[in-house]
Amino acid sequence: MISISPKALTPGSDTSFEQKLDLTNLTPEQVALDINKLNLFYGKKQALNNITMSIPKGQVTAFIGPSGCGKSTLLRSINRMNDLVDNCHITGEIILHGNNIYDKHVDVAELRRKVGMVFQRPNPFPKTIYENVVYGLRIMGENNRRRLDDAAEKSLRSAALWNEVKDRLHESALGLSGGQQQRLVIARAIAIQPEVLLLDEPTSALDPISTLTIEELINDLKKQFTVVIVTHNMQQAARVSDQTAFMYMGDLIEYSDTNTLFTTPMKKKTEDYITGRYG
Amino acid sequence: MATLIRSNRSRGVKNSLAKWLITLGGISVLFTLVLIFMYLLYVVKPIFESAKIESTVKVSLDLKNDEKILGTGVDELQELAYQITSSGNIDFYHLKASDPKGSNQFAVGDSSLSAYLLTSDDFNQDKITRVVNSFSANKLLHTITGKTLLIQPSFYAKYANDSREIIPQVNYPLGHDSLTIDEEQSPFSQLGFAMDDERIVFVGFTQDKRLVKTTFIAEDDFSSSSDGDDVEYETIFQQIELPTGSVDEIKVTPDLGLAFVRSASTVYVYSLNDDEEVSLKATITPTLHNDDTYLTSMALLSGSSSVLLGDSSGRISQWFEVATESGREFKQIRSFETNDSNNKKVSNAITAIYTEQYRKSFYTMTDSGMVNVFYTTSSAHLWQGQLVSSQPEAFAIAPRANGLIVIGHDESNKNQKVLQAFSVHNEHPEVTWQALWQEVWYEGYPEPDYIWQSTSGSDDFEGKFSLVPISFGTIKAALYAMLFAVPIALTAAIYTAYFMTPGMRKKVKPTIEMMEALPTVILGFLAGLWLAPLMEEYLPAIFLLFIFLPLSTLITAFAWYNLPNNLKDKLPETLAPLLLIPVMILATYAAFSLSGVLELTLFNGDMRQYLTNDLGINFDQRNALVVGIAMGFAVIPTIFSMAEDAIFSVPGHLTSGSLALGATQWQTLIGVVLLTASPGIFSAVMMGLGRAVGETMIVLMATGNTPILDWSIFQGMRTLAANIAVEMPESEVGSSHYRILFLAAFVLFIFTFIFNTAAEFVRQRLREKYSSM
Repeated sequence: MISISPKALTPGSDTSFEQKLDLTNLTPEQVALDINKLNLFYGKKQALNNITMSIPKGQVTAFIGPSGCGKSTLLRSINRMNDLVDNCHITGEIILHGNNIYDKHVDVAELRRKVGMVFQRPNPFPKTIYENVVYGLRIMGENNRRRLDDAAEKSLRSAALWNEVKDRLHESALGLSGGQQQRLVIARAIAIQPEVLLLDEPTSALDPISTLTIEELINDLKKQFTVVIVTHNMQQAARVSDQTAFMYMGDLIEYSDTNTLFTTPMKKKTEDYITGRYG
Repeated sequence: MATLIRSNRSRGVKNSLAKWLITLGGISVLFTLVLIFMYLLYVVKPIFESAKIESTVKVSLDLKNDEKILGTGVDELQELAYQITSSGNIDFYHLKASDPKGSNQFAVGDSSLSAYLLTSDDFNQDKITRVVNSFSANKLLHTITGKTLLIQPSFYAKYANDSREIIPQVNYPLGHDSLTIDEEQSPFSQLGFAMDDERIVFVGFTQDKRLVKTTFIAEDDFSSSSDGDDVEYETIFQQIELPTGSVDEIKVTPDLGLAFVRSASTVYVYSLNDDEEVSLKATITPTLHNDDTYLTSMALLSGSSSVLLGDSSGRISQWFEVATESGREFKQIRSFETNDSNNKKVSNAITAIYTEQYRKSFYTMTDSGMVNVFYTTSSAHLWQGQLVSSQPEAFAIAPRANGLIVIGHDESNKNQKVLQAFSVHNEHPEVTWQALWQEVWYEGYPEPDYIWQSTSGSDDFEGKFSLVPISFGTIKAALYAMLFAVPIALTAAIYTAYFMTPGMRKKVKPTIEMMEALPTVILGFLAGLWLAPLMEEYLPAIFLLFIFLPLSTLITAFAWYNLPNNLKDKLPETLAPLLLIPVMILATYAAFSLSGVLELTLFNGDMRQYLTNDLGINFDQRNALVVGIAMGFAVIPTIFSMAEDAIFSVPGHLTSGSLALGATQWQTLIGVVLLTASPGIFSAVMMGLGRAVGETMIVLMATGNTPILDWSIFQGMRTLAANIAVEMPESEVGSSHYRILFLAAFVLFIFTFIFNTAAEFVRQRLREKYSSM
């Protein structure tokens, strides 16, 4: 039995696998991100209610929940993409490397370089495959051809796309299939070597085969990056994630390791959701 | 079931009705476009047609055996032709049968009037040897014994029983008696003359080899009476020194200014303006094909500036005075080859050159009767062919240049002389592709040039129809407008679409789009009457504004950026850009108040004077700068509106994608947003360009309409559209000028067509490249 600190909203889990982390008592080395009493408002409407959680390093963390529960909003607040939304107002803090990312002095562009993001729809730029992958490096001022070439190959290999596109790197990225485009976007995100990779329903616009490829890819990616994934597909969360957070109406209902959450949820709402009563 | 069927049927009817209506609408739009296109072509087409000459009437002449025909002519309507014979008769012939209702019935070929001209006792049954023509209808008759008589065959219309009849008559402007042209009463071997209302100038070469000039100066004027027996005039006799002993031809220009005296292959040009002394002004010695070639004929071109010289090889050269470094000189401007068929037996020598009265067309004749028709300005070879089988005895061009009268031997019966009338269809000889688009050497110009000058006060004016300056003006006006409009419109579009808060955008965008509804006549009016004088007065201020306004904007933005947040928070973000308004007003005020100071310190007190005097740059009040700003103003809303839409519709997930990679707003804008919006931005710019090219009112009112070829920002221009608007009301329907204006419209059509097609083509390509997002 693992004790649960009163700070955590989740009651924890009673499983005792060796690999499992104590999500409420992580050592600083184990933590990638600390979310602390985060409230988010769209105008007057509150979308996130006092969320507190720690996201462990080198693991895949999944956010699940019904539509409109705030899981995407939470994800987007990790790299401050919500800044682009009008009337969006945030209290609380998210700690990365000991700094609150919502601090005034934080350079948002720098933050987003450390916290990469992949969106629901594949969004390659209307450029060549190669230029897409090196885009992040170019805007950082990298113009050395060899370093760009190396980074492009490495990222495309990591995104399991290299073999498919190596002969047409200089053709338009818009000629790729949806699944390839999504992997290209992942390659683009990892080319700048972020610490955290946020995936916002990365497979919802893809066919089952592509979905499978992406899921395998996520498994590989956690060796290098901390991955946070939002999905409405519970099977996917169960397949790819180490930890799962269940959210409902802007609240973090339950947060524990995936196995526990799907087999022995602590909350009635969680159980209702995973057994398909609503969602 | 029944209701179901009925509703289906009514739906079907509606469907097919809608289908047909839409098809009809679409087809009629296309049809209208094609119709406009066809109509333009239909009006333009005749100017590129070559001349046609057709025989109309043939009249057999009843003559005594030894009688020769010395002159002929026809009235303006080509109803009556006349001949002057060596025995001193003038005979008029009808070329058209009479109106059956007319009081006087006659058929084609009937003689209308015959008169004996040498009625005065002076002549005593003399024989005429020569008839000398001038550009007017006057003819000078010269007899064997050296007597001279001036006659003027003329025509008037009589209306009886609702039908018109042309009545011929012969006037004697200087009376029926012989004129004394040579003091010593010697007969002339060559004679030339020209007259106006007050003077008659004769230049003649007598049989005893003297070159003389004789001037009659009227007491009153020569046209005061039709029967000139009582005309009083003073006579001045002058001797002209001639470097040679023989003369082959003499021509006097209609303005009485010059005499061209041809002796073998040399032409001596004398200035006649001085009543005291006749001076040799120039000598023309054309370079001929080879030693065997010599000059055979000479003629003056309408307008009294050009002389045409024909040689034995069949070449005609045109000469006129040109300003050179060493003063005015006669130069060979161009030459025409009659390029006769390969028939070597027939001589190509030009035996005579006949010129039209008002235009620059001329007809050349050879011994074999081969006729070539040319037009000098356009260098056009209009017609070549045989009118009669040998050189005619007399040849005349109808006053309206739409007909010819040729008197020669009948082809079937060599002893029978016939008078033949021809109709000439040669309405637009001055237009060729070359004359429209290439440099042309116009009379009096020092070198070939592109000139648009369609009309002038005089009838014998040489129309200058080069489309180059006005096409150039169109492009120049459009480019200056784009230079002004594109940076402003695109930056405004980027700011509005990408940086502006949505609330502000909702107000700003319709406001700018409303500017498009502003009638351009108001813009033109303001530009011409307010902006142009203002600019002239405060020229340095205008240039300062181009520096001050962007600079003050940047400084304000920088200051705002560095302002402490607590101060910034006092002004809502929406209203922050309004801060710029007072700043810009202040910058404008500063520019205008500095204008005077700047003029004093840098430009010696007056920038305009400084430009003209010290830098040698001409300054027009209505110039490209004014047009650039005014027309730029008119195209800004077009470009802004389309470019803003294009930028605003760049998908948000692309922008987010870039931002999520750590790109700044600026990097995202350059790297992703503008790239993706580029098809839209491109077509926005092209639409603006199309609008600038076709714009009429602003350029009409603010350019000064000077058709010059000069890129200078301080010079005006004339555009195709403004040219059509200015000149169409005053051009005669069906004239070359009228048709060339339609051609200008056609060129404008092609211009916009090219721009729009290029825009659409590039847009399609770009869209293909950037679309599937």
